[in-house]
Amino acid sequence: MMDTANALSPRSFITVSEVWVPEGDRLVLAEGSYGALGAFEQTSMQTSFGYGEGLPGKAWAEARPVVFKGFDPVSFKRKEAAQEAGLTAAVALPVFAGDRLNAVLVVLCGEDETTTGAIEVWAERDGLLMLDDGYYGAAKHFEWVSQHTHFPKGQGLPGGVWAAQTPMLFRDLGSGYRFIRSESAGAAGLTTGLGLPVPVPGGQTYVATLLSARGTPIARRFEIWDAREARLGKDGGAVLIDGICEREGPLWSEDNPRRAQIWQGPIGQVLGSGVPVVSSGETIAAGYSTMVALPIHRGEEIAHVVAWYV
Amino acid sequence: MKKLVVIGAGMASGRMLEHLFEVAPGEWDVTLFNAEPRGNYNRIMLSPVLSGEKSFEEIVTHDAGWYEAHGVTCRFGERVVSIDTARKEVTGEKGAVAYDKLVIATGSEPFMIPLPGRDLEGVIAYRDLEDTNRMIEAAAPGARAVVIGGGLLGLEAAAGMRLRGMEVTVVHLMGHLMERQLDPAAGYLLRRALVDRGIEVLCSANSKEILGENGKVRALRLDDGTELPCDLLVMAVGIRPASALGRAAGLAVGRGIQVDAQMRSSNPDVLALGECIEFEGQLFGLVAPLYDQAKVAAATLSGESASFTPREVSTKLKVTGCDLFSAGDFAEGPEREDIVFRDPARGVYKRLVLEGNRLIGAVLYGDVADGNWFFGLIKDATDVSEMRETLIFGPAFQGGAPADPMAAVAALPADAEICGCNGVCKGAIVTAIQNGATTLDAIKATTKASASCGNCAGLVEQVLAVTLGDAFVAPTARPMCGCTEHPHEDVRRLIKAKALKSMPAVMQELGWKTPNGCHSCRPALNYYLLADWPLEYKDDPQSRFVNERNHANIQKDGTYSVMPRMWGGMTTPDELLAIAAAAKKYNATVKVTGGQRIDLLGIKKEDLPHIWADLNAAGMVSGHAYSKGLRTVKTCVGTDWCRFGTQDSTGLGIKLEKRLWGSWTPHKFKLAVTGCPRNCAEATCKDLGVICVESGYEIGVGGAAGMELKETEPLAKVASEEEVIDITVAFVQLYRESANYLDRPYKWIAKTGGLGWIRAQVVDDLENRACLIARFDLSQSIYQKDPWAERATPDYQRAWSPLADLTKEAAE
Repeated sequence: MMDTANALSPRSFITVSEVWVPEGDRLVLAEGSYGALGAFEQTSMQTSFGYGEGLPGKAWAEARPVVFKGFDPVSFKRKEAAQEAGLTAAVALPVFAGDRLNAVLVVLCGEDETTTGAIEVWAERDGLLMLDDGYYGAAKHFEWVSQHTHFPKGQGLPGGVWAAQTPMLFRDLGSGYRFIRSESAGAAGLTTGLGLPVPVPGGQTYVATLLSARGTPIARRFEIWDAREARLGKDGGAVLIDGICEREGPLWSEDNPRRAQIWQGPIGQVLGSGVPVVSSGETIAAGYSTMVALPIHRGEEIAHVVAWYV
Repeated sequence: MKKLVVIGAGMASGRMLEHLFEVAPGEWDVTLFNAEPRGNYNRIMLSPVLSGEKSFEEIVTHDAGWYEAHGVTCRFGERVVSIDTARKEVTGEKGAVAYDKLVIATGSEPFMIPLPGRDLEGVIAYRDLEDTNRMIEAAAPGARAVVIGGGLLGLEAAAGMRLRGMEVTVVHLMGHLMERQLDPAAGYLLRRALVDRGIEVLCSANSKEILGENGKVRALRLDDGTELPCDLLVMAVGIRPASALGRAAGLAVGRGIQVDAQMRSSNPDVLALGECIEFEGQLFGLVAPLYDQAKVAAATLSGESASFTPREVSTKLKVTGCDLFSAGDFAEGPEREDIVFRDPARGVYKRLVLEGNRLIGAVLYGDVADGNWFFGLIKDATDVSEMRETLIFGPAFQGGAPADPMAAVAALPADAEICGCNGVCKGAIVTAIQNGATTLDAIKATTKASASCGNCAGLVEQVLAVTLGDAFVAPTARPMCGCTEHPHEDVRRLIKAKALKSMPAVMQELGWKTPNGCHSCRPALNYYLLADWPLEYKDDPQSRFVNERNHANIQKDGTYSVMPRMWGGMTTPDELLAIAAAAKKYNATVKVTGGQRIDLLGIKKEDLPHIWADLNAAGMVSGHAYSKGLRTVKTCVGTDWCRFGTQDSTGLGIKLEKRLWGSWTPHKFKLAVTGCPRNCAEATCKDLGVICVESGYEIGVGGAAGMELKETEPLAKVASEEEVIDITVAFVQLYRESANYLDRPYKWIAKTGGLGWIRAQVVDDLENRACLIARFDLSQSIYQKDPWAERATPDYQRAWSPLADLTKEAAE
């Protein structure tokens, strides 16, 4: 079993999560979770991004996941507000349904001298997945190892996601169960890894990984929902195929898997809208304060939804 | 309290204890032995633990707290030494314990193939957490593993180790993966998915020896000599009931511990359940019937009545991203019918097997949404006659009008993609049609739809039909057979373009409508595949006509004719003596053929391997008089003997025959070389005929003297024998590569629009000629072998003997 709730640390690797959606020819903030960073939230609400502008606009225009570190003032419009909030890095994941941009999910992280975790973007080059970019916080050695690693199809978390075209959740990245970069992952305290395909127009392969450490977890609960018609038939909805929670233990059930219906609950909202959901408040599962649910499309249809909770 | 001893803390006994504590709380004092040093865990989830997608903690079903809460005395890590049924006592390694009732749930043991080297370090089975951990320990990027066994467990092990970073090869004895659960088509899709994960898959591969170095496994050697280097070798070839304890205790044991429907063994105080048992001759390996047994055993212990009935089980492979479903019986049979649906673009294959009006089997790959619905129909033996037409489309289609493919196309939105290769949507095609592109070719030219792989051509035609109504007349290219919409030409082109290298690959990717093809398409596909992929594809004798399968021509009375090859029509006294001896020995009728050979008629099937052996011993090989391949090279006596001869026609004929024999062609192929224009060897009515003239050689092709009579057309005139041989070989290879199956060369030439294109390929373009020759020689390196010599062995002789000779018994 996982650690119990009373052992939880209040700190997490991701400080801010926000969803930007197209409105006319600009991206506007749909929703976000900012914790105590009210000023940054206010700035964000007053901001919008054109095609190619800022982090969300860049992910839209270049049709790929984008990592920002150090916040270059030219390309990061909210630099001052971010610096005041102690934010030091951001990752934008575009959500495309076929060729159409549904949204851009942006996560921002801070305190990179003490927080450990990793958000990585892997891109296919010459038949191998190479590290495109990543944010590692204090896990500097792991960052170096990752920069010098590549994954063939089917190997490791990124290669597995690539081959299976399915989000995957790896446990115990660094202990007895050997993640390919396990030694370094173990030294960095990384435990759980969520890998997800990031489909973009044009067919370039991108895989994003969220690698979580116990001290400053990206999330304390992960879920992977399968929404493919080939799995569920015409009834639609989604079925929980994998998940792990520090409070509730394993979430998957071979015999009686959980189902989500369209428009019902946050997973249902994602299924209905095709747009990520960032939700905060009392009603979140297992008493967590924030959850992020991200749709993953295959063509124009939602194939999977991944969710993480802090 | 009554004393219950349980041997084995696996999934079956664990579920039984759950039921028992539910129906009879506090009634039993339970002692639980387990050879593994731990309690019950969900063994079928070991594969995700191996891959890293689950942690062991997650798959523990009963932890220490559970056992404590139910007062179970756990003796984990302790083997049971013996059972004394008279004293009702079980003795473990650390002492004995008495019982009122005993439950044996010792599970199964992995079967280890008795290969030399199986005791080497690094050779393991895949059964429990220890095995799993050994695989995890062995995993390091670049480390190599070989898995023997392409069943459920073997493939899960392979995928798990691959995710851990290993280079993995699966060696499977049968022709396709998971042959007990999947048919060849689904097996092909699964193989493709695994190969796509970087796993090497070798089917029809027979392991011969495990090689070691310093006591540790180094490689696996197959019977064809291939060595597969490995640091770890996992055998996952099946399980056997672990019934030794029961046998030693004097219980009735067949293949497993025999139980009745109440799970009682031959001793009423001893129950058994799980993989260690045998019930009405059946063994059990999947979890669903084990859980049924657990419920029955708990009821029996509680004095309630319950009966175990084996039920249909379905299969699921735990490899993330591989969606397959299999249930029931899907073997072919005379009373059985198939409904097949394929969607090549999505990698979907569905096959339903019906007997009478009942669904008896289902195999689904890629789209498994309706698996449970089909499974229900199988279990309940539902009469499906009313929904037969739409059955394959699943429950969503039942109760409505039959699905009309045209209606579905009409309903597609404008942005629905029609041509996946070139990304052309329905709207673009409709616009092109409205702008005047009213044929498939015009659509190809204007939009590129169906211009690449061509799989969507049917769909484009449907869009044409929907848009133009009766103004559209669909082209009438004749499909190969009822199994496909594709004509021969398209199939040949797509086999090359899409690099399809197996029969299931062709059938899946080209959307075959039947599971395994028919007597018409299978021989054609077999030929196309072996002609295009001589190295990769393995000839399938079952896809050949009977004469080719038996390497002799069957006659009207069921006997066979045997015809040895006579190179260029030449023979020797010794060969004639051997032929005469064989004719006498096997009571053959002797006929001299028009192809300058001697035919021995009336040979019984069981005598074939023997007469082949006799003729082989005299240095003769098969004349291939039965094959779609090179038959004979007829010659005249040429300059050696004839006053009119201009060249050594006999010698050239022999050279040609020695170069070409053994090659498979779309139809039979006959040659002749004649020494002068008087044409004694009748070279002008052969598939290829050479006429020797003073200045050199005239090569003609496309003659026929059968149902149709046709004179050869001149292909080339050359000066040297070498050029004759080169052009002949190149012509044969071009014919092999581009003709439709069962088209003689004259038909093929007509379809290519005359000799112009062929002449350009084999005469004018020297580079291309050399490439054709090289490809022919490559194919000959595989196929130029005497089928008689391969089959004149004692094993074949036994196999070809009748099963029993009943004539004497009938006489008596």
